[in-house]
Amino acid sequence: MVSSWSTPLTTTAFTRVRALLLIAAGVLGLGMLVGTAQHGPLALGTVLEVLVGWSFAACGIFLWSRRRTNRLGPLMTTVGFLWLLGRTMTLVPNPVVYTVGLWLTDLWAAAFALFLLSFPTGRLTSRADRAIVGIFLFVTVPLEFLWLLFLVPENGLNVLGIAANESAAHVIDTIQRAMISFGSVLLVIALGRRWLRSSGPVRRQMVPVVAGAIAILLQSASWIVFSSGTSLEPLDDLIFLAQIAIPMMVLSVMLRARMARAGVADLVVELGQTPTPARLRESLANALGDPTLKVAYWAPTEDRFVDAAGEPMELPEDGTGQAVTMLERNGVREAAIIHDAILLEEPGLMASVASAMRLAVENDRLTAAVEAQLAEVRASRARIVAAGDAERQRLERDLHDGAQQRLVALTLALRLARTRLGDDADPSVKLSLEQASDEARAALAELRELARGIHPQILTEAGLHAAIESLAGRTPAAVSVDMDPDARFAPAVEAIAYFVVSESLANIAKYAEAGAVQVRAGWQEGVLTVEVADDGRGGADPRMGTGLRGLLDRVSAVDGTLEVVSPRGGGTRIVARIPTAAPTHVADRVTARVAT
Amino acid sequence: MITILIIDDHAAFRVQARALLVADGFSVIGEAVDGTSGLEAARTLRPDLVLLDIGLPDVEGFEVASELAVTGPPPLVVLTSSREASDYGPRLTSSQVLGFIPKDELSGAAIRALVHPA
Repeated sequence: MVSSWSTPLTTTAFTRVRALLLIAAGVLGLGMLVGTAQHGPLALGTVLEVLVGWSFAACGIFLWSRRRTNRLGPLMTTVGFLWLLGRTMTLVPNPVVYTVGLWLTDLWAAAFALFLLSFPTGRLTSRADRAIVGIFLFVTVPLEFLWLLFLVPENGLNVLGIAANESAAHVIDTIQRAMISFGSVLLVIALGRRWLRSSGPVRRQMVPVVAGAIAILLQSASWIVFSSGTSLEPLDDLIFLAQIAIPMMVLSVMLRARMARAGVADLVVELGQTPTPARLRESLANALGDPTLKVAYWAPTEDRFVDAAGEPMELPEDGTGQAVTMLERNGVREAAIIHDAILLEEPGLMASVASAMRLAVENDRLTAAVEAQLAEVRASRARIVAAGDAERQRLERDLHDGAQQRLVALTLALRLARTRLGDDADPSVKLSLEQASDEARAALAELRELARGIHPQILTEAGLHAAIESLAGRTPAAVSVDMDPDARFAPAVEAIAYFVVSESLANIAKYAEAGAVQVRAGWQEGVLTVEVADDGRGGADPRMGTGLRGLLDRVSAVDGTLEVVSPRGGGTRIVARIPTAAPTHVADRVTARVAT
Repeated sequence: MITILIIDDHAAFRVQARALLVADGFSVIGEAVDGTSGLEAARTLRPDLVLLDIGLPDVEGFEVASELAVTGPPPLVVLTSSREASDYGPRLTSSQVLGFIPKDELSGAAIRALVHPA
């Protein structure tokens, strides 16, 4: 359903042709006026006749230059020229010229019928249409020839009139008029059916052609009613007026499609924002200026098109004024845009729209792929963090169950030995035992500290607040803790929060020379905020300390953020924000335990 | 002489604790390996004092302590652990026990200090 035209003329050649045609039309028209004026005063009818020819010729040429690939332009131009040539040539006394003029004047009707039926693409699409034009051609070519054979005109200029026979000519003329009337009726019916099958905007576009069909019909009717030769002047003038208007209306309808081009740029932007199907249809319809636009999606499982809600959709048939632009990707049918056929008139418009939609779809697909990958990365990072925590807990337990127990046993054994030894023992032996005990105690303390660094048991036992209090107790500076003592968070979250505080306190002890430290931890709207602020030296650089950097890594591994504010001389503030669910409260847990 | 029941799942500790406490003048009248048998032993033997490990296999020492507190007349309960007090934080202070002695600091004197605070 896309029109094509082989080898259009190049621009410069076409400009020359166009100029020539316009001049020719002008000359012919003037010729008509001058020629008629010689026989008497100029009637309004004659002026209107000239204007009809000029209207078709000029609008046809204009449309042809704007829509190179559409046949309607040249067709309209031909209609105009047949009209002008025919009438001008019948004013010339030369027999050959006169005869040809007669023929062309009648041939005009077939060209006009072709023009009406082939709107808007300039091509006939159905057999019925072709048959109707066939009737007109039959009347205006072979029958015409026959008529000219028998015709004896008053001025005797018929060069073909070799078998002069008035009555035969009259009979053939009557047959011609009857057949043209019949053809006009069929024409009106054909266009009427198209009219009925289309919707509001398309009907508006068809107004000129329907008017044209009615004009022909009226003309035929007037022939029949008023018998051969005579005509009703006012009706003729009215028909001429309609025929002047028709090419201009067609032109305006055809050129409307140009304005749709500008909308495509906006469309690309809109499509980039991944609209819902309803919004997509609206965007397309607005961009292209076609409210009748519909989008059909191909459902491979049902082997047919469906709308956005999944209901089956039929593609429009030929002749309804609607066209279908198929959207395919990699040769696979994906969707179809059902739209006014007029949009095909703008070269490449639907192709641009299809590209824009393909871009948007590709964008959607890539975005989805990236999202999926990101989700996978987040999931795997969470698994790593969880595995790390589990590993640390296992290490702590191994230390506790293994080395710590042994040291405890050693300490007790030494104490037992000391007790059994009594107070009267050899002082050197007592001393050795004391020293051994001290070593054992020191070893146990170090091991405990190590274990706490790996995983502080109090965190698991009593929660974040208790663990921080415990840390605070072991820090030389004065530490105040501001946190809900009963709040418990997910173990991974408590571990990270604890390490933020522990690392910060360690740094404070090492570098800050601080007097007072404030530790704050609170949860609000899905985020646990942990803050450690001291009044020390400041000047901490998060990029320098491996401890802080490690902290940054661990905080971001749970999708949190770490902020270090440390102006020189102005103290240091470390703020960690960790997204997490609302805390449970210890009171709830105790209640649960009592219930079991 | 104060009678003591030791509830702990580590055999080595039970042996050493018994030896230490006996040498320091206490009478160790029983041992239990877990919470359930410990509670049973407490009911049967009626010790003056129970040396109770927090990390028992079947139930936490805190719970056993709560149970002991309601058996009449309740024995004195001293919690113990390989870990330090600071590893348990407020849970220790809120439980109804006489006190806590880390295992490595266990001695008769330590127990006496709890029983007869000077």
